[in-house]
Amino acid sequence: MKKSRVLIIIPAYNEEENILDVYKGIQNAKESDMFTYDTIIINDGSTDATKAICKENKIPCINLIHNLGIGGAVQTGYKYAYDNDYDIAVQFDGDGQHEVLSIVDVIQPIINDEADFVIGSRFIDKTKDNFQSSTARRAGIRLISWMIKLVTGKRIYDTTSGFRAGNKKVIEIFAQKYPVEYPEPITTTELLKKKYRIKEVFAQMHERTGGTSSIHTWKNVYYMVNIILSIFIVGIRGDK
Amino acid sequence: MSANLRFYVLLAGIILLLVIVQLLRKEKVFVKFSFLWFFSVILLALIALFPDIISFFRKLLGFETSSNMVIGIFIFTLLFITISLTIIVSGQKTKIQLLIQEVSILKQKIEEKDDK
Repeated sequence: MKKSRVLIIIPAYNEEENILDVYKGIQNAKESDMFTYDTIIINDGSTDATKAICKENKIPCINLIHNLGIGGAVQTGYKYAYDNDYDIAVQFDGDGQHEVLSIVDVIQPIINDEADFVIGSRFIDKTKDNFQSSTARRAGIRLISWMIKLVTGKRIYDTTSGFRAGNKKVIEIFAQKYPVEYPEPITTTELLKKKYRIKEVFAQMHERTGGTSSIHTWKNVYYMVNIILSIFIVGIRGDK
Repeated sequence: MSANLRFYVLLAGIILLLVIVQLLRKEKVFVKFSFLWFFSVILLALIALFPDIISFFRKLLGFETSSNMVIGIFIFTLLFITISLTIIVSGQKTKIQLLIQEVSILKQKIEEKDDK
């Protein structure tokens, strides 16, 4: 069987402290008889040394000429995957939150053709010790989960996980259209509505090792209102 | 509708027309987007020159005075224009994002070639 070509998309905004470790981690975990990995960093107009570090260490990197936000950055990765005809694309955070060893678990259901899109989830396996984030955040994630269930009838647990993998069809869809703000729950809802097979698998996640997360407390209310409205709109949009 | 009100409405229409024409001459505004405002100018002119229209609709819609009716029409027109602008801005945001992405991917390709 032909090996699947996998592209790991790493969006990075001011991740000078983490980016090299994350990249090295992936390099070390590389290769398998089922697939080959390539990595691309999408540097979302960082103002720190992210660009220089990538250049110095010869890390494949697309430097966005202006900051686009997480959605625009990740979509650039999907466009790159589409242009270069990759079979599978994996989104992997540049801040060291996601466990490299879990990449295989996220890819496997796509290789087995059990799913078109896989979400690496913190919440799917309660028995394993995992970083679960704050109570407020978990409540927010549950609310989004409930909203998605209302609109699509399907239950997704870790709705905001940025650790995800898609097959060729999904790559094409995302390359064409991807939300700018808070893309994860919205794209999940869109795929569910279009009847794509989504699977949630357990993925190990850690607390951030350096830098600051892009999620600020004062933005949370706006975040929730925006997401709930967006999911609702996906729900009432006609199928095109 | 009082003569005063008609005069002010006409004056507003003329000033608006002059401003738009001037902006068009200096190429600060696309012709395409000036139509939004010409529509307002026409509306103002109609109100000032044919006050009967206002009286007719005032009675029909139950406004107490003509001036209220005129203000109501303006608020509605402005809302319409603002929504149009929101649509235009959103469209531009999408286009700018596309440009940034494509240029950045191209740059990466070129740099990759240079390295080899």
